[in-house]
Amino acid sequence: MSNSTDRKVSIGAYIALAAAIIFFSGLLQGKGALSVFDFNTLNGSFGTMANAVTESADGINVTTTTMRGAGGFGARDGFMFALTLVPTVMFAMGMIAVFEHYGALEAARKLLTPLLRPLASIPGSTGMALIASLQSTDAGSAMTRQLADDGELTKRETDIFAMFQFTAGATIVNAFSSGAVLYTLTNSAGESVVPTSIAFAVGIMFIFKFVGANLFKLYLNLTEGKAGKKAVETAIEGEKA
Amino acid sequence: MSTAKKPMITDIFVAGAKKGWIIASTSTVPNVLMAFVIIAALQLTGALDLMGTVFAPIMAVFGLPGEAAAVLIGAWMSMGGAVGVAISLFDAGIMTGEHIAIMVPAIYLMGSQVQYLGRILGPIGTEGRYIPVMIVISVINAFASMLLMNIII
Repeated sequence: MSNSTDRKVSIGAYIALAAAIIFFSGLLQGKGALSVFDFNTLNGSFGTMANAVTESADGINVTTTTMRGAGGFGARDGFMFALTLVPTVMFAMGMIAVFEHYGALEAARKLLTPLLRPLASIPGSTGMALIASLQSTDAGSAMTRQLADDGELTKRETDIFAMFQFTAGATIVNAFSSGAVLYTLTNSAGESVVPTSIAFAVGIMFIFKFVGANLFKLYLNLTEGKAGKKAVETAIEGEKA
Repeated sequence: MSTAKKPMITDIFVAGAKKGWIIASTSTVPNVLMAFVIIAALQLTGALDLMGTVFAPIMAVFGLPGEAAAVLIGAWMSMGGAVGVAISLFDAGIMTGEHIAIMVPAIYLMGSQVQYLGRILGPIGTEGRYIPVMIVISVINAFASMLLMNIII
């Protein structure tokens, strides 16, 4: 586990990470040919269908709708709408797999690892578990348990790391499999209505994961004293018993 | 590891898209359907209007309508469900694109914690006495993120 932190990360991995961030950030949306590197642009749009045809003094008016139809309600409307989300989820997960293949997550691990000790009071050896936890809560928690059992993490570090994973769990997979959909919402004129991007939202989530870990550390400091002191106390209690 | 046969980039994409199909069909579709049913029930009973009034003063702090509280309550149970709730409130003209942008980080920061009690804290072996604290911190995180997003947007 510990040698994994020393593994070299190639320049290609950093390029993959940068490409992933740009791709999901919406920076290149509407930038001509460059918009080929934009998620929402490539995600595209559904074609429209005629909804209602009315005749008025101005001639024939046709209103259009997407394949979901207009005026639905309840479970059936929810189902039709949910179907329109499927391609976005498939496209997002397909691209995540490609960026991951080229080392984007390895690069993220390398960049995040130095932040773990100062910002979250977790040793850098948890880098792999951290990256796993961003994709799968099950993998993240299993690896964390392993680190704790192997003595690489103290009980206090394990608890803080659990807090880090518990808020915005499996951040990347969850945000891209459901959150990305929200940024595809459009108004009746077909213009996108949600400002900011999924990449920006994920960035905010990351910041608050660190905030949460520190709030929990603060809680431990207030209720159980600073790190180390508790360990000594329990050791003494252990002696008594 | 890298000595294995190099897969084609298209194969990698397709494998990921397949995973997306499974997530969409087993999680997104059922969750969104459930959210639409819940919102329909809340609308028919008038409970959604009531929520809008009751939570209006709190949610106004974050630049959101009172009904947006339904998104947060939904998020705590299921992130996918909350996305469905947000979308149906958008459809009903209650929430705007800006409102959704404010809420996205919050949906995940306090999201799906009902199941994550069992999937994160359970396997790690977190002590039971810490669990309420961790939930409260996640909710604080969610509300703080909405304050921040409201300023940014």
